[in-house]
Amino acid sequence: MTTDVTDLRLDALHRRYEGVVLVAIPGGGHADAVAELRRAGVAVATVDWHTGAEGVAEALRLEFGRLWALGIGPSNVAVVVAAGGAVDVTPLLALDQPAVLAVAGDGVPPAGAVALADSTAVAAVLADQLRRRLDADVPVAVAEPGWALRVEAFDAQRQRVHQSLLALADGRVGAGGAPLLAAPGSERWVMAAGLYTGDGPETRLVTAPAAFHLAGEDGPGERLCRLLDLRSGLLYEEAATPAGPVRSVRFLSLARPGTAVLRALSPEPLGPVPSLAPPAEDPVLDDGTDGGVAWARVVAGEGGVAAAAVQRERESAAGHVLDRVVAYATDAATVPSPAAAVGAATEAAGAGFEALLAEHRRTWAARWDEADVAVEGDPHLQEAVRFALFHLMASVPDTGEAAIGARGLSGPAYRGHVFWDADTFVLPFLAATHPAAARAMLEYRVRRLPAAMEAARAAGRAGARFPWESAATGRDVTPLSAVDRAGRLVRIRTGQLEEHIVAEVAWAACCYTDWTGDEDFAAGPGLRLLVETARYWASRIRVNGDGRAHLYGVIGPDEYHEPVDDNAFTNVMARWNLRRAAAAVETGPADAGVADVELARWRALADAIVDGYDPDTGVYEQFAGFGRLQPLIIAEMAPRRPIAADLLYGSDLVRGAQIVKQADALMLHHLVPGEVVPGSLDANLRYYEPRTAHGSSLSPSIFAALFARARDYERSLEALDIAGRIDLDDLTETTAGGLHLATMGGLWQVFAYGYMGLRPDGDRLAMDPRLPPSWSALDVRVRFHGRRLRLVKERSTFTVTADSPVGVSLDGRPYTAGPRGLVLRRSRNTWEVQS
Amino acid sequence: MTVILAAIDNSTACEPVVATALALAPTVGASVEAVQIADEPGVTALATAEHHHIPFRVVAGDPDARIAEQVNDGEVAAVVVGTRGRPTGPRPAGHTALALADRVDKPVVMVPPDARTPEHVERVLVAMDGSPGRAAALRQAIHLAGDAHVELIVVHVDSEDSIPSFSDQVAHETAAYAREFLYRYCGEVPARLETRVGVPAEEILAAARDMEPDLVAIGWPRSREPGHGHVVRQVLGASPVPVLLVALADQ
Repeated sequence: MTTDVTDLRLDALHRRYEGVVLVAIPGGGHADAVAELRRAGVAVATVDWHTGAEGVAEALRLEFGRLWALGIGPSNVAVVVAAGGAVDVTPLLALDQPAVLAVAGDGVPPAGAVALADSTAVAAVLADQLRRRLDADVPVAVAEPGWALRVEAFDAQRQRVHQSLLALADGRVGAGGAPLLAAPGSERWVMAAGLYTGDGPETRLVTAPAAFHLAGEDGPGERLCRLLDLRSGLLYEEAATPAGPVRSVRFLSLARPGTAVLRALSPEPLGPVPSLAPPAEDPVLDDGTDGGVAWARVVAGEGGVAAAAVQRERESAAGHVLDRVVAYATDAATVPSPAAAVGAATEAAGAGFEALLAEHRRTWAARWDEADVAVEGDPHLQEAVRFALFHLMASVPDTGEAAIGARGLSGPAYRGHVFWDADTFVLPFLAATHPAAARAMLEYRVRRLPAAMEAARAAGRAGARFPWESAATGRDVTPLSAVDRAGRLVRIRTGQLEEHIVAEVAWAACCYTDWTGDEDFAAGPGLRLLVETARYWASRIRVNGDGRAHLYGVIGPDEYHEPVDDNAFTNVMARWNLRRAAAAVETGPADAGVADVELARWRALADAIVDGYDPDTGVYEQFAGFGRLQPLIIAEMAPRRPIAADLLYGSDLVRGAQIVKQADALMLHHLVPGEVVPGSLDANLRYYEPRTAHGSSLSPSIFAALFARARDYERSLEALDIAGRIDLDDLTETTAGGLHLATMGGLWQVFAYGYMGLRPDGDRLAMDPRLPPSWSALDVRVRFHGRRLRLVKERSTFTVTADSPVGVSLDGRPYTAGPRGLVLRRSRNTWEVQS
Repeated sequence: MTVILAAIDNSTACEPVVATALALAPTVGASVEAVQIADEPGVTALATAEHHHIPFRVVAGDPDARIAEQVNDGEVAAVVVGTRGRPTGPRPAGHTALALADRVDKPVVMVPPDARTPEHVERVLVAMDGSPGRAAALRQAIHLAGDAHVELIVVHVDSEDSIPSFSDQVAHETAAYAREFLYRYCGEVPARLETRVGVPAEEILAAARDMEPDLVAIGWPRSREPGHGHVVRQVLGASPVPVLLVALADQ
């Protein structure tokens, strides 16, 4: 006889758990139930209670760690103790607080634990979990603290903002987080990475058939709750309907990119539901069915996307269940065959929902294990950081080429155009945590090197000139004019003049090689990028009669002033580019194709180029003549900052004043600290920050990092707070068009560069950690030259752990960190090794 | 059949008020009736009504109270009033008319004495400052206009208080902002967004001059708080076309 767990009136157990830990006597029964649960996809661990309470507690810690690595957190774990009265479970309650602790046996269970009558009740619990799997129950919408974004109710005004915040992506496709039950006017979109349609400035990412929807257009009503589990990449939704709640979970599989999975559970039948919804913006080329699998295709340039959906509806004890698996086949060169998508969808559906969910969870857990940033002492900041890292990781594929637009795959704004945002802000995070994705981003640039060389030739230059805005072809797609928010028609000259991106493409290549030590890339495509960008600068720089070298007529990161001569940022980045290329050629393969005379010229130009540095003040003049502009200090004048100063004061006034849009000369201290005069950060921060409007979403994170380096923690945290809220609070009023990926990348840089002080230095990783008073610890994970490192800065100690020995340095002194951990303590002005 | 009520007096405002009502009526599928609050019918008022072949009635009593009663009649869709009898009139523009707007929930169209009177209402300029309360009320006007298939131009004016914190790449930024703005406030109604930065009343009036709409729609905050409604008062004082006031929720 079996006892239904519902008979036990144990509400806490009456739900689906992703993980179950059974504490029992080995061979003491339940073996068959455990085996069945595992076959059904439940992560089950068993712990031998013979080891006693402390032993059990330690074993449980290990099992929680294993479950965590599978993407299953404590709030999704049930611990069932089938040990009679033999185990004192009190120590178990001090664990990571499992969702439920159920104890069978004699005696009174401790407070917080659920009492089970006997071994039969334990069996009932296990049987109930199995039944929930077999009935296709939907996983419960829970997430660990600091790992979730919850959106309650349906807000018609902000629904598109929420859609962006809750967007899912797997590097190949992205999908908005709109409710499954469509509201009037809501848009369901899926965008395919790197697939563009249209020409010139109108080029935009193509939209594909949508996968996440249910029947009906009446909307979800106000009683709607969506929860994005950042750790597992799952979007849960519960919508109240007249028939009862419709619960669902959906994801874009990080384990098999291009695969969308949905399970929905309803008290009433969900159909008829077309498995593929029309693309948001683009026409369907053709569609059909193949063996019962629906497919549809969309054209994007020469290529396109094919989508195919396997959908299964059934009735179970849990209710009416809809399982949908949609596979997307994408190709920029040719429209994929329907068979490619149908085959992938059929294969994925054949694996089954539970297997797809488990592999997806595992993959996300592995990504977090190599990239997490934990901040102790600021829960709101912690959520903002994880939110940012989640979208960064989701937006970039591991293979092929990765065109990372300003809003990634989270919305249509900026049309998927690729800016310096990708090279300078997004790529460092990936180079330092998931090199394959950074390599894919560089591959995008490498494959567009011919177009960049053609652009340089067309401009009468040598080498390669990468465009300010790039899309499919690598030719410039920057708009030429626009009406601004003040209603003025403005000429847009960034495509023509904002050339610093040429150096940033080279910088990104070096950032990748510095973090990874990828010698093949460094000697191959990376070297080509360095050489051709250096050649561009060499042909672009003009040498005056006084022997000084100049760059005339450019736009720096401060786009309020254009055109300008000798922009310090552009000039120094060009100098860095020339020197780094020369060094790479000298130490690289013999067939680099650069003559000695050319190398010598690069070096001479680098030495001759003006950088605007004034040794008397320690300040880099942002561009020639900046100091003669009207000294309007926006920190004193503006009603608030950040503020779009060009709209506040008008472009003409701003152009004639010392009002800066974002970090410009200061960006040098962030990107190429080795190229600026040592000790010049403070003077430039004091000079430029009051003059900066922070009218670019890129600005707050850079200043947060720089203030951290300057140990001005109050201002650093102030800027960091803004950077963290840009999308979560829709500070730009454009989050509905997608998330600010560069800000998110900048956020990571605040912790890695700003607070940890990380800088690759040859075969060592230099560190200079610090902690603001309001945090108790900062925990950052990175990869360096193939080793995985975990850096933990606490109030008085700094611990570096690596999976294999790796060279690090602090204050210029070398150390070796390994699996046992390098523990250092700051004593006066030096680090002392503790272990 | 709904009615557009032309509230007239014995002044030079009679003709533009009736003409505006007649221009508006086919747009919303209504007929026009004229009313004068007075003990005796004014000759000018009566003659104007007869000239346009519209029903005319005289109602005695307190002007503010009685006109409000007339407007609150179930059949009345909107009321058209003059802001004052002549451009050089002694009181601030629209004093009486604004008092009426405070008392009624229905749209009030105010005709400045020197406004251009439209022959048809084919283009409406909706002025918004983007605050949620105003936007919600004006959305009703937008949908009304959408149903009538008139050309809709939304003018959104940022003042110093509402200038955005960030503006990254102007072409993309403005497009993204406009897309979301129109989505939120116009929904499915086809509309064009014109953004401006400056003093709201000045920018709205400039837009009204530049774009030559037949009507300007603007939210009217029914509040006695000092400073409220000053934008509306300024627009009424200088609008080149009639102004449709849409009552905002009490703030």
